[in-house]
Amino acid sequence: MLLDSLYFKELLSDKTGGEYVPEITSLLSTLSPTFFVLRGVAAVLTVFLTIRCYTSMRAGRRREEPVVFLENQRNRKNIPVLYWENSIGRSQSCDIALPDSAVSRDHAVLMRRESGWLLTDTDSKGGTYLNGKRIRDTVKVIPGDLIGVGRTNLIFRRVTDANVKPPRYHARRAANQAGLLMMCTIIQLLCFAQAFFGDKQFSMLPMLPMVAVIAVEWIYFAISRYALGRTNFELETLAFTLSGIGIALLCGTREKLLKTQTAPTPFTLYHHSMDAVYSQILMMIGGLVLFSFMIWFMKDLNRVNKWRVPIAAAGLLLLAAPLVIGISVNGSKNWIRLGGFSVQPSEFVKICFIFAGAGTLDHLQTRRNLIGFVGLLAGVTVILIREKDIGGAAIFFATFLIIAFMRSGSMRTVVLSVAAAGAGIATVLGMFSHVKERFSVWRHVWDANNLYDKGFQQTRVLTYAASGGLFGVGIGNGGLGGGTGPLKGYTNVTANTSDLVFGMMIEELGLIMAIVMVGIIAMFILFARSDATRSRSTFYSITACAAAGMLLFQTCLNIFGSTDIFPLTGVTLPFVSAGGSSMMAVWGALAFIKASDERTYAVRRRE
Amino acid sequence: MKTTGKRSIFLFFFLLAFIGGLCFFLFEYVTDGGQWAMQPYNAHLSGTSTVANGTVTDRNGLTLLKTQNGKRSYNDDERVRLSTLHLIGDTEGNISTGIQNAFKTELTGYNMVTGLADIKAAKQGGSIRLTVDSDLNKLAYQKLNGRKGAAVLTNWKTGEILCMVSTPTFDPANPPSDVKKNSQYSGAFVNKVLSGQMTPGSIFKILTTAAAIQNIPDLDSRTFHCNGSITVDGSPIICTNREAHGTMNFQRALADSCNVTFAKLAIEMGKDKMTAAVNSLGLNEPFSIDGLISAKGNYNVSNASNNQLGWSGVGQYTDQVSPAYMVRLLGAIANGGAPEELRLIKSVSGDLASPGKYGTARVGRAMMTSEVAQRLQKYLRGDVATAYGDDMFNGVKQVCAKTGTGELGGEHNNNGWLVGFSADESTPYAFAVVVENTENYGSQSAGPIATALLSAAVARGEK
Repeated sequence: MLLDSLYFKELLSDKTGGEYVPEITSLLSTLSPTFFVLRGVAAVLTVFLTIRCYTSMRAGRRREEPVVFLENQRNRKNIPVLYWENSIGRSQSCDIALPDSAVSRDHAVLMRRESGWLLTDTDSKGGTYLNGKRIRDTVKVIPGDLIGVGRTNLIFRRVTDANVKPPRYHARRAANQAGLLMMCTIIQLLCFAQAFFGDKQFSMLPMLPMVAVIAVEWIYFAISRYALGRTNFELETLAFTLSGIGIALLCGTREKLLKTQTAPTPFTLYHHSMDAVYSQILMMIGGLVLFSFMIWFMKDLNRVNKWRVPIAAAGLLLLAAPLVIGISVNGSKNWIRLGGFSVQPSEFVKICFIFAGAGTLDHLQTRRNLIGFVGLLAGVTVILIREKDIGGAAIFFATFLIIAFMRSGSMRTVVLSVAAAGAGIATVLGMFSHVKERFSVWRHVWDANNLYDKGFQQTRVLTYAASGGLFGVGIGNGGLGGGTGPLKGYTNVTANTSDLVFGMMIEELGLIMAIVMVGIIAMFILFARSDATRSRSTFYSITACAAAGMLLFQTCLNIFGSTDIFPLTGVTLPFVSAGGSSMMAVWGALAFIKASDERTYAVRRRE
Repeated sequence: MKTTGKRSIFLFFFLLAFIGGLCFFLFEYVTDGGQWAMQPYNAHLSGTSTVANGTVTDRNGLTLLKTQNGKRSYNDDERVRLSTLHLIGDTEGNISTGIQNAFKTELTGYNMVTGLADIKAAKQGGSIRLTVDSDLNKLAYQKLNGRKGAAVLTNWKTGEILCMVSTPTFDPANPPSDVKKNSQYSGAFVNKVLSGQMTPGSIFKILTTAAAIQNIPDLDSRTFHCNGSITVDGSPIICTNREAHGTMNFQRALADSCNVTFAKLAIEMGKDKMTAAVNSLGLNEPFSIDGLISAKGNYNVSNASNNQLGWSGVGQYTDQVSPAYMVRLLGAIANGGAPEELRLIKSVSGDLASPGKYGTARVGRAMMTSEVAQRLQKYLRGDVATAYGDDMFNGVKQVCAKTGTGELGGEHNNNGWLVGFSADESTPYAFAVVVENTENYGSQSAGPIATALLSAAVARGEK
């Protein structure tokens, strides 16, 4: 109890903040029930938007129907070629399975690229022949060509030449993309509107961020649609929804002012107490640049294959940089300073890691073992453990599992890896008191000796999450966020807007909205899976699944860590948490999912 | 490509983990949310926000518990705190049937839907006035004198619970640090009145009697014979101390608590009739006392041998009852078949609470016909008139009662029971008292406590 009173006194003394306008305070008492209802409306709209985006994405996809045929010369049977990359072989799991004992298990790969159809032999025993000549390298195939594998000869035919009827189907219409983005804008307006009245006082400060966020969204939409000619925008719309709400949440918190700084008046438009918000918006723009660059870069699969090893090496170097020139934040030495900005390299290395782990189908068939990739994982893990970033290591490991399984299909690999990781965790626990502490406090955060100490962050998250109820207390009114007004000073919880942002979401936006928002991240899994066989290459399929899985795993670590369901590891919530590196990197991860949608690289949209 | 597509199923592991974790979180949010929110450091509970302040008082307005700015304080008198622990509950919420756990919303203004959001309707705290008289609770606690047990006293005409004590207990204002480990406190988190599942011994003969009234037409004209024990299925069923009760009528058999007679009656009626009768008396179902759920008792002879069926008729075998059930049953007898449902809350005030829900009497489902009730009352009155004597109850009029000794095997390991009621309209009290781990019979262990409570209630003119 003594501790309590000391705690309050100390924090009350550094109350800072704006002036109170009595008229606005009274206006607020009538506004607060309105906002309460509007938060419910926003949650319902977000659910609707999420579902609409998903169904629209599904509706706009190409039918899975053959583009070309392979005609078996012996029995004149047509074998449909369904995918962009097709394995040819004796194995049943091949896309073109040939019951011919002279054919190797995985014999060759037939790929469709922008330039046309390509054929490559994947280290088969008997070799692959094109028009009677054994092929050494990747060769181009044109209709009428004869492909020889084992004792089987296949004639490459266009759909129009082959004697087959195209299946009939009903055209499904994708949703109006601008309409979806408009709904996203409305949801964000509903959120930002509350930020103006956060903490029982009026402030114009959220105006600038609100206008900026919405402007960025629509400008990017225009670029995507008219300059790049992309038809669909569902994925970006969902990511914008999350990012925008995250920025609105951040508007409700202000940085503490120094004594020399002047407090903003209710009508100040720009103020350095909002620096975190401005930098978050800049980083979202940075994320969009990275997103666009990656989509461009990955378009050319030859370039992808060429750069895989250099990117892996660069990633390792980048990750190791903090060991040499790094700074320590909250017990993890994984930050570097770059021209006034703090950068967390591991966020970007995740992208390199996914990039290095995946490959095109011919590449996967010729390089079956995962030794190089396992080596990369080992390197990454060692560095991260040295930097005491256990959450980061867990994310890399989960991503590894996804890629390893998708490449090998072997559950044994997965089980063995998990067992190895278990042993690793035990070792790490013994090595670092910092980590051990987090494990020892797990599920004991409410113990009297942890409540104001090692369980401080988790108990605050739970207390304020419960205070929010289903519909929240409103942006800027949260105790966990600790704005500038009456509530300022009560909370001083480290990482409240980043690692603990889930608590802020529940408290200020309500449990329903918070769940819908993390649900959107989980939805990315469905996006990635629905493109898994339709993408232009296994490279896109694997990277998309790895990226979606990584985002979801990171979400799990964040929301379950902060609520004491897992040990707290201190990772950010994708798109929502404050943090520049994280914001940029998650847009980079989203690029993988976007690239796996074959429409992304389709011939320009015609108006 | 096909294979890659199939393998992407692996992602569903992640989705499953996500959904599983989320469900776990939601479960905790629903069950523990109130406790998470009610922390002294919560800024929403600070002076700047007008948060709900709730109180719980006894029937006379004495404050038992107060919630202010998220902090809870209890009555100043330690004996009041000790004797009302199970009624009020502890701050940590270990006692789930405590008022402060069950009426979190009413007391703190917190509820799961609005949390502590600044909505007018959610602001008010409530106050709850209980039907219990803390003086009677204190008296029962004193009379239990450190022994484990439970005592409950009700007004059978209104259903109001006037006294409800369970021991062992601890001080909720200063909970002992070893409360979960020290065997001295084992059972302290259970309100035995509501949740106790205890071997009844001879008080179960009230239920066997009810079954016999319905199934044996010539009950009153029969004579019974007892020479201290009978052998059924090769094993004995014995009377206390193998006392031979000789030849007697039914009233005498009940008053002398003759096991041999009641075992024979149970065997004669058989499993089906016994079970049907006990079920219609509501033993095997839980019931609600203003939202607090009382544990159901146990009578299950489906796998019993004849010997065990006999023992089940005298409240042994696997029979279990709670004190609350016993006073409810006695209330039904006193009221001519249907009990006034038990109540613990006299009135509630506050915006969120629905005052109409509390404070009004409700008649429950009829457990027996009025004819059965009248005959049961006559027999139980006969117990006092012919065997225990009115002196035992300090002259309180028209007391109908039954003693019991639930034997759990081993020394110092009996449940001593006394249950009963005054049939006089001017002193409409029903009581059930149990003392655990005693070597004494019910009349010696539970008797003095019941008598003291009854006399005090009469003296105070509790209504």
